Amino acid sequence: MSTTDEESSGVLRSILPPEQVDRFLGTCDDYGWPLLGIGALVAASFPVLGLQGGYYMTVLTEMFLFAILALSWDIVGGQTGYPSFGNMAFFGIGAYATAILTKDFALAFPVAFLLAGLLAVSSAGIIGVVVLRLRGHYFAIATLGVLLVAQQVSRILDITGGASGKILLQTPSAETFYYLFLGVLVVEMALVYYLSGTRFGFVLNAIRDDEEKATAMGFNTTYYKTAAWMLAGLFTGFAGAAYSLFNTFIDPQTAYNGAWNVELIAMALLGGSGTVAGPVIGAFGLHTIIELVETFAVGWQLVLLGGAVIVTVIGFPKGVVGTLSEYASQMDYYKHGGMAATDTDDGSEVSADE
Amino acid sequence: MAATQFVVNGLLVGALFAGVAVGFALIWGVVDIINLAHGEMVMLGGYTSYWMLTLVTGNAEGSPLLFLATVPVAIAVLFGIGYALQRTLVSRVIGTDIFLTLLVTFGASIAIQQLAIQAWSANPRSIQVSFANPSMSIAGIVVPKMKLVAFAGAIVLTALMYVFLQKTRTGRAIRAVSQNPEAAALVGIDVEHTRAMTFGVSSAIAGGIGAFIAVILNVQPQMGLIYTLKSFIIVVFGGVGSIPGALIGGLLLGSVEELVAGFASSQWTLAVSFSLLIVLLILKPKGLFGKGAEQ
Amino acid sequence: MSKATSGPAAEAASDRAVLRTDGVTKRFGGLTAVDDVDIEIHRGEIVGLIGPNGAGKSTLFNCITGTLTPDEGRVYLQGEDVTDWPEHKIARAGLGRMFQETRIFGDMTVRKNLLLAAQEGGAGVSSLMRRPDSSLLARTDELLDYVDLGGLAETRAGRMSFGQQKLLEFAMELMSEPEILLMDEPAGGINPSMLGNLIDYIRNANEEQESTIFLIEHNMDFVMDIADRIYVLAHGERIADGTPEEIQNDQRVLDAYLGRE
Repeated sequence: MSTTDEESSGVLRSILPPEQVDRFLGTCDDYGWPLLGIGALVAASFPVLGLQGGYYMTVLTEMFLFAILALSWDIVGGQTGYPSFGNMAFFGIGAYATAILTKDFALAFPVAFLLAGLLAVSSAGIIGVVVLRLRGHYFAIATLGVLLVAQQVSRILDITGGASGKILLQTPSAETFYYLFLGVLVVEMALVYYLSGTRFGFVLNAIRDDEEKATAMGFNTTYYKTAAWMLAGLFTGFAGAAYSLFNTFIDPQTAYNGAWNVELIAMALLGGSGTVAGPVIGAFGLHTIIELVETFAVGWQLVLLGGAVIVTVIGFPKGVVGTLSEYASQMDYYKHGGMAATDTDDGSEVSADE
Repeated sequence: MAATQFVVNGLLVGALFAGVAVGFALIWGVVDIINLAHGEMVMLGGYTSYWMLTLVTGNAEGSPLLFLATVPVAIAVLFGIGYALQRTLVSRVIGTDIFLTLLVTFGASIAIQQLAIQAWSANPRSIQVSFANPSMSIAGIVVPKMKLVAFAGAIVLTALMYVFLQKTRTGRAIRAVSQNPEAAALVGIDVEHTRAMTFGVSSAIAGGIGAFIAVILNVQPQMGLIYTLKSFIIVVFGGVGSIPGALIGGLLLGSVEELVAGFASSQWTLAVSFSLLIVLLILKPKGLFGKGAEQ
Repeated sequence: MSKATSGPAAEAASDRAVLRTDGVTKRFGGLTAVDDVDIEIHRGEIVGLIGPNGAGKSTLFNCITGTLTPDEGRVYLQGEDVTDWPEHKIARAGLGRMFQETRIFGDMTVRKNLLLAAQEGGAGVSSLMRRPDSSLLARTDELLDYVDLGGLAETRAGRMSFGQQKLLEFAMELMSEPEILLMDEPAGGINPSMLGNLIDYIRNANEEQESTIFLIEHNMDFVMDIADRIYVLAHGERIADGTPEEIQNDQRVLDAYLGRE
């Protein structure tokens, strides 16, 4: 952390001292489960309190959808350090699976939904074995390749309806989708939250920080990476599985949407990669903004998206939550006689360094 | 005989891929950035040529010479865009996490695509160039004249780039920065300017090739990504920093695509190409020539 | 050669060796980095590995840890042939490693780093899914106090100074209770006042927990002070072994360091 950061955040520090932020984050952390529960209940209550199917319900449902996608991306990209451009491949697989199973095979939606998830997670396993050997930008681009191959394949095959896709007419109600997406989101958040406190979660973070060290410590990193990837694929697949019917239409462009993949990355980064709340907050926030743009300036949303990505990357790489925790942990370090400390002389015995 | 025709078609179009890839490789090698907006430079070059021609003739048609006159314009415009892109955007993320650099250029790519859609609509457009006899036959192989011109154009541009890098002062500066930025700075080279020049030169070539593509194929706002990924395939295959490698890679890729299109169906070309991408990455190639595409 | 190297007594001793290499050779292209090296480390020993730059010390380490696979020869850990095992499997079998450049997980808190190092329960799925229990947490506190990093438990490890990170890395190894700990230049980058502390920590671990330690080092004072025995490598070959006194008086060793061969 450099001195210039200190200078520029000096004003901020007096208004919003790091200890307060630290305490705030700490409280959120301690009360994670109740917070999640309350959030879920509040969201679930909207339809009960009178929210009708229509524009606003659709927007909220889409917010849940993107939150699922962003959080899933973050499991592999943020927690494990393998950012991919191809998560949407599983979205498309799930989407086409339910589309085909309900329309061509007349399966009931719940059954199709579960089967789609199964298909998504299995393909994640197979694809994972292949691409997870790669690192860094090779991995990112290989996943982009996977996404595009999937898109091309769906364009070619008849069963997927070729380039024109499939139209789905008998779909469940708007409320069903609202609760379905909300439910999947809550389950995913709960799962990720739980895992981030277990050894499994720690290992993922270790892989992100220093994969070779993790291996040298005895962890079979391939096993963990694949598990994380399959988990992400499962939830992304579920999201897609519900989406094709929600949208009543699916085609290669919609199912395997590279721009969406970038969008959800931006959401995860903006909100704060590597945390549970971050991607969700980012998804809610960015989606709202994009919706607003779409209302007032149709067609410009993706330009905005490109801009948002650029702004995030250049100015704000740690996102909201990340920047907050960075900021919050500043004081902690100084208190204990850190390296750059000048006038903190707590008399702490931790001078076991230069 | 059919196979030979396909291969010839492939070589003709492959030179274009190679030209695009060479610029991509240059940025990768010198600025250490994988420019996911590279394909957009091709697209913009095509549109520049299209609109220039329309400006002069009223519609996108003209004689070969008139068309060729638009190529330098495309080159110049794209040089400016590439230079600006590096100085305003990319320079801010150099040295940060690799993924962020990918993301920034991808974000730029999307923004440019969407702006193009807003400006020119998503409909594909193409330039019509009139020849007296549009194609000729050599030993039983049909060779459309325009494709031959495009092939020649791509080769010329690539050769010019090679000469530029080897013989000019800026070219030498570029090579110095690619090998050792700190040392280059120490001997007085303006590293930032050189990096921007690299982006400019690379985009310029891509733009020039885009003009040719507008004639023999078409231009539409979302064509860029495909060229970016093909460039990636070619560079991974041929080795970062090797122009001969990129040339061979491009010709090979073109041939493979045409063979697939000819014997299977053109629907499968992209699927095959992208699968090739994944396969190449897995085999962890060191490239045939030049520096290995190391991580 | 100083110890008995043949006969039934020696064989019995070899079997009790925690770590043993037998003719390990590693080549890179035309260069033989490690040439037919035999070493043996017994329980409770602190053994040093020294030699001029480029002698092959780190390569030998890498062959032992499984980062590299030897071209010839075998590596035995607790009597088991681990030569072809993948790196993580060897680590889990009880071989710990500290790195020259001090690798810890910078983005995670100090406590998380330690929790990760604990090997209890192995890597089975059920143990992975459990949250760390109180006894484990207590142990992390203990270890942190032991290396005087108490109070930094919730700090992001990357924020600490190099010396503090090295202590953390050491504490992580203690946490995992390895059968043998390989240390790559532990004294590197440490200021002299802390060096004394480090020697004490290592000695304590060795005496109280019977930790077996095998370390590469360039700092002669450090090695001579702490090691029970020393192996000397030059040009990939083992040219000497013995106690610190024997090594200091060995002409071959002096020649190797001064470049006369």
